Amino acid sequence: MNEHIIELSGVTVRKAKGVLLDGISLNVARNEFVGIIGSNGAGKTTLLNVIAGFERFEGELSLFGKPERWKRSRETRVRVGYIPQLFQIDPAFPILVSEAVMTGAIGRVGLFRSPGRKEKEKAMGLMEMMRVAHLLDRPLGQLSGGERQKVSLARVILQQPDILLMDEPTANLDIAVQKEVLNLINEIHQKENLTVLFVTHDFNMIPAGMKRVVLLNHGKIVFDGDIDVALSGDMLSTLFQYPLETFERDGRRFISYG
Amino acid sequence: MTEEDLSLMVDQIMDVLTYPPIQKAALACILCGASCSLLSVFVVLMKMPLIGVSMSHAAFAGAVMGMLLGFNPFLCGFIMCLLAAGVLGPLSDRTDIAPENVLGIMFSFLMGVAFLGMGILTRTKAGALNLMWGSLLSLSDSDIAVLTVITAILLLFIVMFFKEIRYVLFNRKLALAGGVPERFIYYALLFLTGAVISSNLATVGGLLIFALLVQPGATALQLTYNLRHFFLISVAAGIGSCVSGLIVSYVFNLPSGASVVLMATTIFAAAYVFSPKRHRRKKVKECISYEYDKR
Ligand SMILES: Nc1ncnc2c1ncn2[C@@H]1O[C@H](COP(=O)(O)OP(=O)(O)OP(=O)(O)O)[C@@H](O)[C@H]1O
Ligand SMILES: [Mg+2]
Repeated sequence: MNEHIIELSGVTVRKAKGVLLDGISLNVARNEFVGIIGSNGAGKTTLLNVIAGFERFEGELSLFGKPERWKRSRETRVRVGYIPQLFQIDPAFPILVSEAVMTGAIGRVGLFRSPGRKEKEKAMGLMEMMRVAHLLDRPLGQLSGGERQKVSLARVILQQPDILLMDEPTANLDIAVQKEVLNLINEIHQKENLTVLFVTHDFNMIPAGMKRVVLLNHGKIVFDGDIDVALSGDMLSTLFQYPLETFERDGRRFISYG
Repeated sequence: MTEEDLSLMVDQIMDVLTYPPIQKAALACILCGASCSLLSVFVVLMKMPLIGVSMSHAAFAGAVMGMLLGFNPFLCGFIMCLLAAGVLGPLSDRTDIAPENVLGIMFSFLMGVAFLGMGILTRTKAGALNLMWGSLLSLSDSDIAVLTVITAILLLFIVMFFKEIRYVLFNRKLALAGGVPERFIYYALLFLTGAVISSNLATVGGLLIFALLVQPGATALQLTYNLRHFFLISVAAGIGSCVSGLIVSYVFNLPSGASVVLMATTIFAAAYVFSPKRHRRKKVKECISYEYDKR
């Protein structure tokens, strides 16, 4: 059960400008829900990019017990789902919501074959689960930000990944929609038996399933452990170099920005 | 009209249609229109018009240099395109430099090279101007053959990888993460861009081809949300521009390349004015303001 499905050791990413990730070592077990927190430019996106296979790196990375580089097989790629921050899409762009969800099945069916009825039914079920089924024949670019992120979730689940990487999926959404999306993320984490890495800035919008937090600073891991310790006022104040206080009320944690 | 008149008319039409130069011109229009407009779908949806411009400049400069040095202009144009693609591809993958600057420098340099070559050539060879303006009416058999092969490859590529192409057009990074051979699709596309542009130097020329790489796709963007229809509308607009442009140039005795481009613009303008998308968006706006009024 406790086998590590993501293992990084001494992972370093260098660019002309400097070192973006500096000797990262990190193990994640199956079904864990790990938060990755750090200030702007700490290297959170770069870390996800390494695991997703978008970025060249030095050091070792294994996924599912096998060493991987940034170039990797289709089989490995489909097992790692990726949800980016809300991105711009031209309202006139020719893709419908149902088609955008179906793109999730493309990698798995492979070249020269079309997704069949089974995939289509699954996509329909997922759109219902994400409460976007009524939008299925609308152009994707004409949806609200929250609706588009829910479509993104349906797409990634159709891919049937084992690992789900999310880079600030709720940024730029309003509070009610953020809560809704976080609840959906929790739901799929449990239902689909996923291992989740979740990058965030917003301490008041932490999904309930997140029990472990990795704090990043200047490309290094400065803390890795229980969320309650990570989100203490002292820890965060040093990380962000800004006075932060945490308090609890009705069993929920709140963070106040001094 | 009597039956005899009718058959006479049919005969006349058949005469025109079987007149070899006309057949050849029609074929040239179809090939040029189809290849450029298929490509324009990618240029428009991947927002890479700058890549289109740079590649056409590279092809043009390569062809002029080839002519100057006594090599096959098409081949030299194609090689220059591949070199340009070799620079452009990795460049657009990098996030730490703005590609616009490099592209700007590159294509102004290529234009300089091309015009230098033109300056030398026009004093010695009259054919050099053709690289600039092209001519749908004076294609050689080998021009047509090359264009046919390249159009067929492009068409085959689109049909075979349609679902992957849809994903890559939507978002390259997501396509890569989703297990689609995104780099293969992207580099194949750059390669085909080079091939289409350099083989069309003979048809519409290095200066005007850019219009045909943008207008048909931009026309389709006004009219549909369906990617299949998008390709079809674009091809219809491309071939339509070439055929009507050629007829206009014949009737009013104008240069054919310029007429083709003007027809492409006219078709785009018509699509823009009658765009159901624009009306739909306007309606959405009306609904929103209506809802605000209600509050
Ligand atoms: N391609 C690149 N080349 C050079 N430097 C880069 C590149 N991408 C990112 N950086 C730099 O690397 C650092 C880490 O970037 P990264 O995107 O991983 O940060 P982040 O923690 O995700 O920040 P944010 O919270 O703003 O999203 C930043 O200082 C950034 O400027
Ligand atoms: Mg980031």
